[in-house]
Amino acid sequence: MNKKPVYILGIESSCDETSASISCDGRILSNIIAGQEVHERFGGVVPELASRAHQQQIIPVVDAALSEAKVAKEDLAAIAFTRGPGLIGSLLVGTSFAKAFAMSLNIPLIEVNHMQAHVIGNFAAREGQEIKAPEFPFLCLTVSGGHTQIVKVESYLKMEIIGQTIDDAAGEAFDKVAKMLNLPYPGGPEVDKMAAMGNPKAFKFPVSDMPGLNYSFSGFKTSVLYFLQKQRQQQADFAEANMADICASAQYTIITILLKKLTQAVQETGIKNIAIAGGVSANKGLRNALMEKQETAGWKVHIPAFEYCTDNAGMIALYGYYKWQAGEFVGLEVAPMARYGF
Amino acid sequence: MTRTWTTVTLEQLPEVAAELLQFASSQKIFCLHGEMGAGKTTFVKELSKTLGVSDEVQSPTFSIVNEYTAASGDPVFHFDFYRLKSLEEAYDIGYEDYVFSGHYCFIEWPEKVESLLNFAKADIFITSDNNTRTITCRYE
Repeated sequence: MNKKPVYILGIESSCDETSASISCDGRILSNIIAGQEVHERFGGVVPELASRAHQQQIIPVVDAALSEAKVAKEDLAAIAFTRGPGLIGSLLVGTSFAKAFAMSLNIPLIEVNHMQAHVIGNFAAREGQEIKAPEFPFLCLTVSGGHTQIVKVESYLKMEIIGQTIDDAAGEAFDKVAKMLNLPYPGGPEVDKMAAMGNPKAFKFPVSDMPGLNYSFSGFKTSVLYFLQKQRQQQADFAEANMADICASAQYTIITILLKKLTQAVQETGIKNIAIAGGVSANKGLRNALMEKQETAGWKVHIPAFEYCTDNAGMIALYGYYKWQAGEFVGLEVAPMARYGF
Repeated sequence: MTRTWTTVTLEQLPEVAAELLQFASSQKIFCLHGEMGAGKTTFVKELSKTLGVSDEVQSPTFSIVNEYTAASGDPVFHFDFYRLKSLEEAYDIGYEDYVFSGHYCFIEWPEKVESLLNFAKADIFITSDNNTRTITCRYE
């Protein structure tokens, strides 16, 4: 049977990154994130987080995604875009572009929830690669600078948030600890690097326990702050002298908090297939802790390629394909939503 | 007009939030000042609850602005300019559309965009000391 390949253009503009991707029958052909090359090609300094920057970047980024995939725009089957959650100004750029482009090509439009797409990043594979995906049902721990969620995933289209942060995100906790230690922002990777050389049990910080499967990192942040203030009164260079141990202990606490609720979720749902998503999934301490659970608790842990963990359009183009298969299209009256639940 | 609440405990925050919004009932834009960990986001949670926001108020440090819905149906905007590097970036997210919307705006780290916030607004200062806080609200 000679089936026509289904090419989907995915567009992501929910926050800082402008990104476009082409998927073909559920495989990623290109995944372009506006970066230095785009800035250089079009000159000038483009602010990092900006709807105006999205406006300047969206056409070159879509152009690059099409040409890298060697796909002509006339061959696209549909256009998928991030409808929310995110910054409304940024979302508007991607949404408006997607609508106009779909109308001009006379092809269907597919709306995608950014947080669900993060989960779908676990199914990402390039053309010719095997899809190493977690089996349904699975639990996805989505951890980034802006989000911390446990998502129960029954199928591509059926997902439920069973736990989330009530204040700060886990990635923010990393960044703020880094800030208190005068490490550069975003400080997550810096803390991770220092932590590898320190003793995770050198200092003890409180592990929050919220009702149900919800997270809280605000109290942890404050306890690190007070701890450092107190120690610095006695020894001005306390942080500098104990950098690795402080980072290791703080990271250990954040991961303990993350794992505690995830373990509880496994017990409550009986689901042992675990996936992760979001920028914090790059954290080595978190990866090691999950792999340890695989050994000790019989979890099956899936860690996607980092390219599909941070904000990217690949996950949008991919989710677009699954929604295309289900015939889930939207009309041109669709509007972006800053807050957008499942 | 200035009013100060001293030795405020966590349990008293809802009461202080209600009193503060009453005290500054003519105001819609509130800038929150205080060091990291002073409890700015926690206080915005209480202010929002007072307005009847039922959504979970989460930190907007990453998202820059979170939008909630008050009991009245009106939006409530919660900003955090902590990670902005230039005034340009505040223009780029369209801050004018939010702050001149006539809806409630709670702004953390306003120091980052001080020169843009040169209009009538209320300031809330939070300092914390041994589990209690001192909260001051001031407006013209």
